[in-house]
Amino acid sequence: MKLTDRCRSGRDLAPALAIACIIATVPLLTGAARGPSLQLFPTTVLEDIKETGQVAEEMESGLQDIIARLDRQQQLHVQSKCEGATDDPGCAQISRQLGTTYMEMLETMSQRLPDMERAVNSTRDSLETRLRAELGLKMTPWTLQETLLGQQPEGSPSVEPKLRGRSGLRLSQRFRQYYQLVAQSGRNTEHSLAVVASDIYLDMEEASVLIAQTREEIGRATLLEELNQSFGVITPEMQAVVDGVKSILFGEAGQVVELAGPPPGSGEVAYQSPLEW
Amino acid sequence: MRKTARSAAAIAALLTALFAASGCATTPASQCELSGTRDLGASIASAKSRLGEGCVAHFDRYMDQLIDVAAGDPTADNKQAFSDFLLWTSDQGLLSRRQAQETWNRYFNIKFVSLRGDYNNCAQTCPVKARVMADMESELADKERGLLQAALDQESYYRADRLLKETELVLEATCRACAAGGR
Repeated sequence: MKLTDRCRSGRDLAPALAIACIIATVPLLTGAARGPSLQLFPTTVLEDIKETGQVAEEMESGLQDIIARLDRQQQLHVQSKCEGATDDPGCAQISRQLGTTYMEMLETMSQRLPDMERAVNSTRDSLETRLRAELGLKMTPWTLQETLLGQQPEGSPSVEPKLRGRSGLRLSQRFRQYYQLVAQSGRNTEHSLAVVASDIYLDMEEASVLIAQTREEIGRATLLEELNQSFGVITPEMQAVVDGVKSILFGEAGQVVELAGPPPGSGEVAYQSPLEW
Repeated sequence: MRKTARSAAAIAALLTALFAASGCATTPASQCELSGTRDLGASIASAKSRLGEGCVAHFDRYMDQLIDVAAGDPTADNKQAFSDFLLWTSDQGLLSRRQAQETWNRYFNIKFVSLRGDYNNCAQTCPVKARVMADMESELADKERGLLQAALDQESYYRADRLLKETELVLEATCRACAAGGR
């Protein structure tokens, strides 16, 4: 006799047993009977994602103008053919302006970095724990691919989250999308959630490295300033930091490389071999 | 001297008898060739006949040739034709049931035979992640021949292609998380 059938005759049972039946039946009715569900995004992780998005937004708004100015000055430096023209007073002025704007960017970042670092690391750590537990320790390679494939009916359109680094979105927008995707998702998109969780986690790792690099660069720049050395030109290291900030915060370096999409379903019932796993 | 010659002849006779008993080893390669037909049914019949005559060692080559023949006349029914053929090899005891399953799933299933195991991913998959991914890439090439070229199942093939990419991303993250847990 099924549990639900037994509980249907609950009138004959003692009250305590009836309550136990109700408690046991609720997960069956809500769909938990379909198998163990992924616990990749508990409320704490969701809150971390939301907060990281807010902190990223504050950082973006603080840096947007400065980076735009830095871009304009760099363009002017190139257009004026200032490369190597150290004796030209006009070029020297542009170089000084570049150095000042670069310092301004680093200062703004150093003010915002502690909050950003805390939010990023917190999101990374909580996702790390969930990924390790849910996908690393609770799943075999086979159950992992079954989870990724999901239980989609034949011919139904698949949910395909964008893969990391290719969205071309600002960090804050990406987090808004992540949050909405995760917060609104149901049990049937678990396969996508595994991809999204991995995506966010790897993003956070990358952002964490960038923060460490930036802090290092701020320290180096401050030391140079203390030694009264002007930057002169944008060095490759400086350029790498600026590019990294633009890529992570504003998604400018990302190119949208779409995966091959499946053709429209034929609607025919697919052959199922007795050998199929 | 005569005694030595008699011993050598006896050994030669014994060896000949042993080779004859082992079947496969005595079947010359030329006798294990499949018929040159481009019809899948006839090719499968030819393969069954050869396998029955002791050419089991040529099974992988037969499979390869049959997939080529199927690609020449691709249809969804080819999946079943291969399934029936592999079930036959299993029933005849030429392949184990597991080998037959692995072969069919390697060519015609979205899921990857290369990504299997009984232990958790942290312990089993992560230490050999690069090899697993290389094996999956190689299996995708077989799925291209089976699903896409022989069975015209584009939808399943593209899903397998995406599954490979998703697996790469998810394993990258999961294995980093596993490693971080061991710090």
